[in-house]
This record gives sequence, C-alpha cells and structure tokens, in this order.
Amino acid sequence: MIEARLTGLDRAEALAYLGVTGAPDGDLSARLDRAEALIMDAARPRAVWRLFAILPDGTLAGTGFAPAGEDIRAHLAGCGQAVLMAATLGAGIDGLLRRTQAADMALAVVLDACAGAAIENVCDNLCADLAGQLAPRHMTGRFSPGYGDMPLAQQGALCRVLDVGRRIGVSLTPGGLMVPQKTVTALVGISETPVSRRTGGCAGCEKYEGCVLRGEGRRCGG
Amino acid sequence: MEDKVILLDGAMGTMLQAAGLPLGALPESWNITAPEKVAAVHRSYVQAGTTVVCANTFGANRHKLAGSGCAPGQVIAAAIDLAKKAVGPGVRVALDVGPIGQLMEPLGTLSFAEAYDIFREMVTAGEAAGADLVFFETMSDLAELRAGVLAARENTSLPVWASMTFEASGRTFLGTTVPAMGLTLTGLGVDAMGFNCSLGPAELLPLMAQLRRWTDRPLLLKPNAGLPDPATGRYAMTPEDFAEALAPALELGVCALGGCCGTTPDFIRALAARVAGKKPAPRPAADMHGVCSASDTAVLDGDVRLIGERINPTGKKRLQQALCQGDMGYVQQLAIAQQDAGADILDVNVGLPGLDEPAVMERTVRAVQAVCQLPLQIDSADPAAIEAGLRACSGKAIVNSVNGEAAVLEAVLPLCKKYGAAVVGLTMDSAGIPPTAEGRLAIAERILDAALSYGIPRRDVFIDCLTLTVSAQQDQAVQTLEAVRLVHERLGLHTVLGVSNISFGLPAREHVTASFLTQALAAGLDLPIVNPGQTAVMAAVAAYRALSGRDRDSAAYIARFAGSGSAPAPAADSALTLAEAVAKGLGEQTALLTEKALESMDELAAVNELLIPALDAVGQRYERGELFLPQLIGAANAACAGFEVVKSRIAQKGTGSVSRGKIVLATVQGDIHDIGKNIVRVVLENYGYTVIDLGRDVPPEAVVEAAIRENARLVGLSALMTTTVPSMAETIAALRESGHACKVMVGGAVLTAEHAQRIGADYYARDAKQSADIAREVLG
Repeated sequence: MIEARLTGLDRAEALAYLGVTGAPDGDLSARLDRAEALIMDAARPRAVWRLFAILPDGTLAGTGFAPAGEDIRAHLAGCGQAVLMAATLGAGIDGLLRRTQAADMALAVVLDACAGAAIENVCDNLCADLAGQLAPRHMTGRFSPGYGDMPLAQQGALCRVLDVGRRIGVSLTPGGLMVPQKTVTALVGISETPVSRRTGGCAGCEKYEGCVLRGEGRRCGG
Repeated sequence: MEDKVILLDGAMGTMLQAAGLPLGALPESWNITAPEKVAAVHRSYVQAGTTVVCANTFGANRHKLAGSGCAPGQVIAAAIDLAKKAVGPGVRVALDVGPIGQLMEPLGTLSFAEAYDIFREMVTAGEAAGADLVFFETMSDLAELRAGVLAARENTSLPVWASMTFEASGRTFLGTTVPAMGLTLTGLGVDAMGFNCSLGPAELLPLMAQLRRWTDRPLLLKPNAGLPDPATGRYAMTPEDFAEALAPALELGVCALGGCCGTTPDFIRALAARVAGKKPAPRPAADMHGVCSASDTAVLDGDVRLIGERINPTGKKRLQQALCQGDMGYVQQLAIAQQDAGADILDVNVGLPGLDEPAVMERTVRAVQAVCQLPLQIDSADPAAIEAGLRACSGKAIVNSVNGEAAVLEAVLPLCKKYGAAVVGLTMDSAGIPPTAEGRLAIAERILDAALSYGIPRRDVFIDCLTLTVSAQQDQAVQTLEAVRLVHERLGLHTVLGVSNISFGLPAREHVTASFLTQALAAGLDLPIVNPGQTAVMAAVAAYRALSGRDRDSAAYIARFAGSGSAPAPAADSALTLAEAVAKGLGEQTALLTEKALESMDELAAVNELLIPALDAVGQRYERGELFLPQLIGAANAACAGFEVVKSRIAQKGTGSVSRGKIVLATVQGDIHDIGKNIVRVVLENYGYTVIDLGRDVPPEAVVEAAIRENARLVGLSALMTTTVPSMAETIAALRESGHACKVMVGGAVLTAEHAQRIGADYYARDAKQSADIAREVLG
C-alpha cells in the first residue's frame, strides 16, 4: 500500500522559488525554519493513482480519456501503460497561507515557496514508491496538463477519471484551477524497456532556466 | 426511526461501471440514456432487502451537469420517477445529493448564495418529482452541507438526512471534525446524520462512537467495502466480511445501515441476513456539548472558555474606521491576535451608526472565518444583523443577546432555533436591571422558559447577569456575583459575563477587573468576555484554573509562566534609527520610534520624511539584488507598524489623512492565485496609499464599479495563469469602455511588458517594488 508521504522539503528549491541567490541570512533562515515547521504540521498529504493500459488510439483503457498533444504523445512513446496520479498537501495549507498573509506577509511568501517544495517532495516520494512497486518496468518522469502543448483544459477530465474530489478532496474552479492550491496532477509512462524522458517536476523542465513562474515561487502545476 | 434497522442501499457508481459506464463519465446521464440499467440496480438492491434507495441523482447539479446537455430538473425527475417505478410500494426513494464539485469560499470560489441556489434547484425538483426524503452524502465541507440543509429546510417539507465523509484522523478533507459536525447538524435539526464513503466499517465505527456523544439525532452509516487497491480501484472486502464488520454499529445505536463505494446487492443481502431480527441498542443521551466553527469546538464542560471582545467598534476609533472603509484585513488581524492570545470564542459586533449592519456583519463573519477557526458569538441588537451573521457562520454560533422583554425574545429566539445557535440572555427587561440577585434570577428563569418553548435546548441557554461599574454602583458588584452563583446552582445554566466594565472610571483598572473575574469564576462563571490581550486578565484565568483543579497538575499554568521573569516593556532602542528598524523588519521598534518622532513632527512629515525614505532605501537594495522578497516585505511590515501609529493618531483626531491616493487592486476573474497581488497590496499600503483590495476571481464589472465608486486613478490587476490573461484583457477593455479616467498596471508571472502593452495596460509591474514606483508616477 503506497501512502502519500511528505518527508521534508528541499530548501534550495524553496530559495530558488523565492529568487534568493547566495546563502540565506539569519532572518531568512529563521523564517525558513518556521515555515517548514508550520507546513510539516498543517500538511495532510494525499495521493491517488491508477494504472491504465494505453490503447492504440492513445486512450487510457476504460476511461474515454486520451491525453492530447504532440508532447505527451512523445513522452509516452513506447509505453504500454500509464499511471495517472494526483497529489495534494490538503486544504490546511491553503488555510495556513490565508491566515499568514493576513498576519505576516513576509512569512507568507516564504511559506508559499516552501509549500511548493513540499508538494514536489510528495510527488517525488510517490514516484519512487511507484517505481519500486512497478519494477522491473520503467517509468518516465511526470508530465502534467499545461506542459508543452497538452491543454490545461484536460485537467478536468483527468480529475474525473481519478475521482479526485472523493479520493483526495481536490476540486477545480470554474476556470479550471485546482483547489487546494498545492496540488499536482500528472501522467507517468510505464514501459517494459528503459526510458530516458525525465520531465519530472521543475528540475527536468526544458523551460527551467528563465521560467518566470519559478522566479515568483510558483509553478505551472507540474 | 430508531426502533428497527433501516437497510439502505449500496453503491450506484460501482454498479453502473460494472454495467459499462466509462470511468469519468457522468452516472446521472444514464437516467435519460439508459434508464433500464439504473432501474435494474435499484431493483437488485430492493431484492437484497433495501427499504430506502438513493435515486441516481448524486451529481445531478447545475455545475456537474454543465455541458452534458441535461438540466438538473430533467435528470432528477427522470431519476426519481424510474426509481419509484423500480422499487414499488413500501420502499422509500431518497433524492441523493452529493457535493457540488466546486469548493466554497474562501478555499474555492463558490459563494454560499450560489451553493444554496444550486441545492435549492435540486431539492425543489426532487420534491416535485415525488422523492420521500433528501439524503446529503459524501460531504466533506460543513459549510457546503449547511447551505444544502438550509436550502432543503427552507424550500421543501421533506425529511433531511446528512452524511459526511471522514478520514481515519477524525477530520474531513476540509478539516471538519466529528464534534463540529454533530453540534452543527443537531442545531439545524436534520432528521438523521452519519458517515459514508472513504473508509471501511472498522475505521468508521470509532468515529460513530464519538459522534453519538454529540447528538441525539438518529444515526446512519454507509461505509466502503474496505479500502480500494490503488492500481485497479477494486475493493477487497467480501460481502460477509463487510456485514460482520458493520453489525457492531447496532450496538452503538445506529439505525440505518448500507454501503458505499465497492458495495453491491450481495453486500446488502449479507448485511440483511446478519442483522435480521436485531434492533439498534437504545442510546444514552449525548453527554458532550459546546459551540463550534466548522473545525474547532469550544467544549462546554464547566471549564473556563474565554470569549474575546475586541471585534467591537464601541469606543475604538481604528476599528470604526476599518469597518467604514471595508478594511477586513484589520478585523482579521484582531481575530488572529485574540486567538494567539488564548481566546476560545470570538465576539463579533459591528454595530455602528450609519453602517448597513446586516451586510457588514455577514462580510465580517466571512472574513474572520477565512483566517481564524474559532467559534463565533454574533453580537447585535438587530435581528436582521443576527440572522445575517448566523447564516454566514459555518458552525454552531452563540447569539448575543436577548433579554427578558417579550418582543426581543419573540424576534430573536426563532432565529437561534432555526440556525441551531446558543443564546445569551441578559438579566434585564423593560423595567431595567433588577437591583437584587433574586430579581435577576427571575428574569433568567423567564428567558429559559421562553427558549424552551421555542424548542431551544436548556444547554444552549447562557445567562449574562450583567456587570455594573463599581465606581458608580458599588453595592451591585456582589449582587452580580450572587446572581451568577444562583443561575449556576439553581438553573444549572452556563453563564456569560463581560467583566471589564467593573473597573470603569478607576485607576489601575486591571487589579479590580482581575479580582472581580476571579470571584465570578468561583461563583460559577464559565464564559467570561474579556480582552485576551490583557495580561492581568489572562493571568487571573490561568491561576483560577490551577486553583480549581481544572488545570491538572497546573501544567498549563507552568507552561505559561515558567521562566517568565518580569519581562521589561520594550523600549525604543536608542542606538537604532527608524530607517534601520524598518530595514531590519523590526515592527515594534519602528512603532516606538514613530511615536517618538511624532513628539516633534506632524503625521504627514513622519510619513514623508521618515517612513517612505526608509522604505525607499530598502527598495533600492532590493533592486540591486542585495535584498530579497521576504526582506522587502519584512521591511514593509515594519513600516506598517509605524503607519498604524500614524493612522491611530489621525483616527483619534478625526481629521485629515496621510493617504497618498487610492488604488484599486484585483486578481482577475477566473484566477485564484492571489499571493502576488497581496504582496503588492502590503507594499503599496506601506508606501502610504489607500488600497481597495477586491480580492481574487473578480469580474470585470466589479473592477469598473469600484474604480468609479472610489474615483481611483490607478487600477492594478494580477493574473497568474496564461488561461486567465484574456480575462485581464477583458477587464482593461471594460475599464476603458466605462470612460473612467484611470491608469492600469498589470502584473503576474506569465506576463511580459510586451504582453501588457498588447492587452492595453498602461504599465507592466515586474514586482511589488516596481508597482510602488508606478504608483508614485501616477499618484505622486
């Protein structure tokens, strides 16, 4: 049984989201300590995933859902199966961010960046656990709606297939944005032979350098 | 319904998927396109023993059906009709109502009014189609469920059953706890409540054991068939295992049993066999009691629960100003500060001449609940404001107050009953405050009788014996204390008392207040209304709890005071300049230094010659890459403490303003990522601008309306996602079309200067610092 796990957060990643270069000073380090403690306390990491066979027309078997775009097609090339996954830090983090923005905005921006690093940690842990469970098969990295030419509008279909509302308490706004905000959905290709496409998270993204989202401590959802 | 076992049905979705419904498709569409398959599921459950079936209407709401070509009324009519035909006489058909599928404010964007309307549409369609009851299921947000229950209560005469879905931790995904659910739904008078989905019987039984201590309403339980295999979605339990695991629910007095995800008619058949001839055990009366928000409960078990009094504009110029200007940020800070200081419940009073009290009450309750989960006490003399507050409050609130006057009781008690609120009764009537304790007790008895006659339970009646100023009516202090003792001992009711008033007009008030509080606590007071920021008051409560044995082993007292010598009050560090204090993000020092500066200069000079230059220096270092965002905001926050000093000074004088101009800010419609906009707000405010923050997901017309109303010459818009930039362009077009002369600055991660120009903005703000530069250029 794979459980969603938040085991820590990568401060270098949080600092990168904050646009901080060089070593953080004492004040910032203190805020990072506090933010990390608050997040570890408020986060209720949850994840849901399902394994599907990919039909010749690109549809995931039994769902009527076919990821759209050249980029995801290339990403899944050679994969007979795909994992659909969704992971979230839970609504408590949104509440914590709201409250902290009202009381202490300087801490809030650090919290926001740390929460970004935390959801990345949950996704990394989930994929590591999946890799163990699905071995000896091989996994690609994570690919999310909104990456490359895969439309963000497919978020809704993906969420329905995983029944994310019922399973992990995630819903979409009418504009198609996920709530709780620190939530990630992704597709992972599963192949019998080794794969080299590692677009997992920000680190593997071709837009990593100069990404404006990252510069503001935000992410595109992947 | 409690003397025999009612068998509910099992999963509908699981059955339809087995019959060929693709994953992710709308099960409700089959009411129209494949009614026979749905009817077959109902029939198979009835054959297994079900006596209440849920029609296939779980997601038949306006939001989930959007784009399907089906309207809720049509789907619901078809679903109820086919179910009634399938099950025949003797079996009841429930209108099944699941979550809307969008999260409510403040987490999501769905408003209470919209949620209510979506549910209203469903329940009226259900009643018209002949449903026997409304069954809310799988709810994880108590606020959303409240909207549904109120919609059903106010628009139909159908019985209402309500079921929520919990994690093993005892909370829902949205943080609702079992006590909060029990208290709130009992107050709303649902006909049955319980749990469904998310977990198997073994995990849900402990939660049920907890729930029955908080409610006397009938209980229902519909667990999943264990936990699903993540890879395949299949559930592991066999029908017999399920029935065996669920049967102990009868010993808890649960009277309606069924299944949720993964259960089939075989499960219900096994359950029917297992419980045949058995009855639910009789239940002891609920022994737990309190008031709550959606997630936090103030348990009323005789221990002291502090009601924070600071959200009350009487005599508070700064709060009056904030309420008049709609500055909810200040109110939120008051709420957070009181919670941090140890309040258990917050009083909310927004009564101010000239203010639309019901509207402001609603807005304030929502703003407070967005950042603070303490239960609330709605404090008003206006029944319309009380109702507005109760409707907005997602939990079980307290109403403050009624008194012994018949007209007041008649106006307010029905509201308390309808919303399930507790009520504070003041021991006074049209003849005034009785001078003796016995006289006050008599009024308390009258209030209690009136409340009982409206169906308000005894434990929800709190009595306030009224504190009179000892400097004016010295003999009354002992009468108040005696009245508290009488109400506590003879009526057994909880008592409320605002204590600060005792010392009005005396020097060193805290000595008198603290001593009076201690005596009142000893007389039986358990809900003092206090300023939790007052150390002497909090110390008196901590000491009382240790002395009365409530604080076991004085643990809380020791935790609070161990190692606390007599900490000196912070003094202005003479070695530090105001500019340095701002740069280091030291708010307290900045405030003290601002106060000192105001001894020798006026408010405007303090802003223009000290605070703004201090911020500018920090901004320049930020631009050079020597400082980063958290430090920039830290400095802004510190400057904010200085501005607060200036603002209080001006509010007290009642004249003038140091505002450098008004700016309307909004995160555009469709976008909910607003932290960037909030950063800009903090920085602009601390540069001395008045910011009208419209929040997030703001429609273009609301931006136009605010810009015109406030006559703002600068409007700032943010959008984070590429998908919401078109909405920003629409907003700019609407502003131009309105003819209102203003400049527009835009910002957000996906924007560039070129992009900003293309959508018609006047300025592109790369970051918060630059937005302040733009404000200076436009507004000076």
